[in-house]
Amino acid sequence: MSQKLLARTILIGFITAVMSTGCHHGNGAGANGDGGTGSESSVPGIGSGGGPGDLSGRPMVGAGGLPSEGQFAAVLFDYDSARIRPSEESKLEAVAAYLKANPGKLVVEGHCDERGTAEYNRALGERRAIAARDELVKLGADTSRMTTISYGKDRPADPGHDETAWAKNRRCEFVVVNQ
Amino acid sequence: MTTGTARAIAVSVLLCGGAFRANAQVEVIKGKHSFGVSGFTGDAAIAGQVTDVLKNDLRLSGYFSLAPVSSAEYVQSGSVRGDHNGIVVECIVMQQATKKVALSKAYQGSAQDLRRVVHKLSDDIVQTLSGQRGIAQTKVAFVWTHNGAKELAVMDYDGYNVHQLTYDRSISVRPRWSPDGRKIVYTSYKNVFPDVLEVDLYTGQRRRLASYPGLNTGAVFSPDGLSIALTLSKDGNPELYTMNVQGGDLRRLTHTRAGESSPTWSPDGQAIAYVSDESGVPQIWQISKDGGAASRLTVSPSYNTEPDWSRPPANSDMKPMLAVTSRVGGKFQIGVYEKGSGVVSPVAADGADNEDPSWAPDGRHLVFTKTQHWRPQLYLLDVVTGEQVQLPAVEGGASEPAWGS
Repeated sequence: MSQKLLARTILIGFITAVMSTGCHHGNGAGANGDGGTGSESSVPGIGSGGGPGDLSGRPMVGAGGLPSEGQFAAVLFDYDSARIRPSEESKLEAVAAYLKANPGKLVVEGHCDERGTAEYNRALGERRAIAARDELVKLGADTSRMTTISYGKDRPADPGHDETAWAKNRRCEFVVVNQ
Repeated sequence: MTTGTARAIAVSVLLCGGAFRANAQVEVIKGKHSFGVSGFTGDAAIAGQVTDVLKNDLRLSGYFSLAPVSSAEYVQSGSVRGDHNGIVVECIVMQQATKKVALSKAYQGSAQDLRRVVHKLSDDIVQTLSGQRGIAQTKVAFVWTHNGAKELAVMDYDGYNVHQLTYDRSISVRPRWSPDGRKIVYTSYKNVFPDVLEVDLYTGQRRRLASYPGLNTGAVFSPDGLSIALTLSKDGNPELYTMNVQGGDLRRLTHTRAGESSPTWSPDGQAIAYVSDESGVPQIWQISKDGGAASRLTVSPSYNTEPDWSRPPANSDMKPMLAVTSRVGGKFQIGVYEKGSGVVSPVAADGADNEDPSWAPDGRHLVFTKTQHWRPQLYLLDVVTGEQVQLPAVEGGASEPAWGS
């Protein structure tokens, strides 16, 4: 096994281990399947680094999940759009400046308002995260230190059901994961 | 144009117009037999429960209108026996005018299996009197929002026997069944990032099928159960891919600057319909399972997402149809795409937000999410009659249903 594959295997094992400690083992009958942590690592290809995925680009995240958002101002978007508005540029410049001066990896989260179908919003949230990441690269940030995650409409910042809430929810958030 | 195509189109067009009499083909499908349930002799508690389940099944099948025994075309009679060893249900269905026995059969099972036993009886009645496959023994998977998490659950098609599948206290969404009904693939944020996981319903074992950088979601089995189509963003933005059921042999299908999502296999397994906003607004496109040039299917309304191809049985009166979620006047509604026309005709447009259509194996019923006062719940829709039925409400909310076999 090459060094790269070995490192990847260890990383996967680590993620599996830390996540399983944070898991609730349900007592429902039948296929509650939290034994999945065991079976997941036995999937052909995952342990050997080939096949189903490539986790090497992901930062290591502890059992508590990602840190809270809020260190940086959220970048806001128009309805059904992944275009970076000129008004949001300065927020991205602040993130890029932080990355240049500090270590760690950046997770770029894409979010949507509730007006849209679930799976479409997962793709839209990802496109927002990618648009923000690409803009950060243009501002000098290292793309290898950034990872995207889309929550679609599943994690609104404001639980309201009006344009004020929706405008806050169409956003990208940035969290720093130190290694 | 074949008769079958004409019939499928007539169904969807006439549903919105409400003018069924205009087409004789539709009347054949829509016609309901009047059916009288006289009940069951024997243990009163068991008999009452069996009668209730049977009536609900016959109503939901779409093939029967329940009527007083005296005036019904078909009449049911029967008996139940039950003790700690189990239950036995005997049922006779007779055509009243001819006094001809259409069905006479006995069923047995454990006392806990009572609903399942009656579902089997109901499907036999549907098969015998309509020649069509019933749906009473099918299952529905869905996303159960409660305690601040999204978990997967599976239930009987009528909303009973809800069984929670995941206990991750995370986000588990977009379930899709394997054709044999044994496995469900879904999107899980259990390990922080959205990955495609599979759960085996027989063993409870879970395994990770796709965990590439970025988005891994939208996984759906091909009709032969050998391939999975899904959305990945690892190559720059959300694109469509196929892979084998082990997660290997990954192939990229689309190459656009837009986002591609929500794949659904055509009934013959040769093409994949999906959502793309390549034209500036989300519409349904189609591409060969081997990639190549994509073609746009829907033109109007101006926003169509969540395509789901039906796969009616070979002997069915129903033809394959593509259900979608359209946005019209700020509201979501369920529609059916008419092949070749580019037009989507509404089948569930009632002022509520109706989303997430998923076809039953009979190609006639849909399960979908209806959101009223910001609370999502699941409904069944018979696209032939246009009738909607709410499933028993679940605490919290229910969404993203997937109808299994």
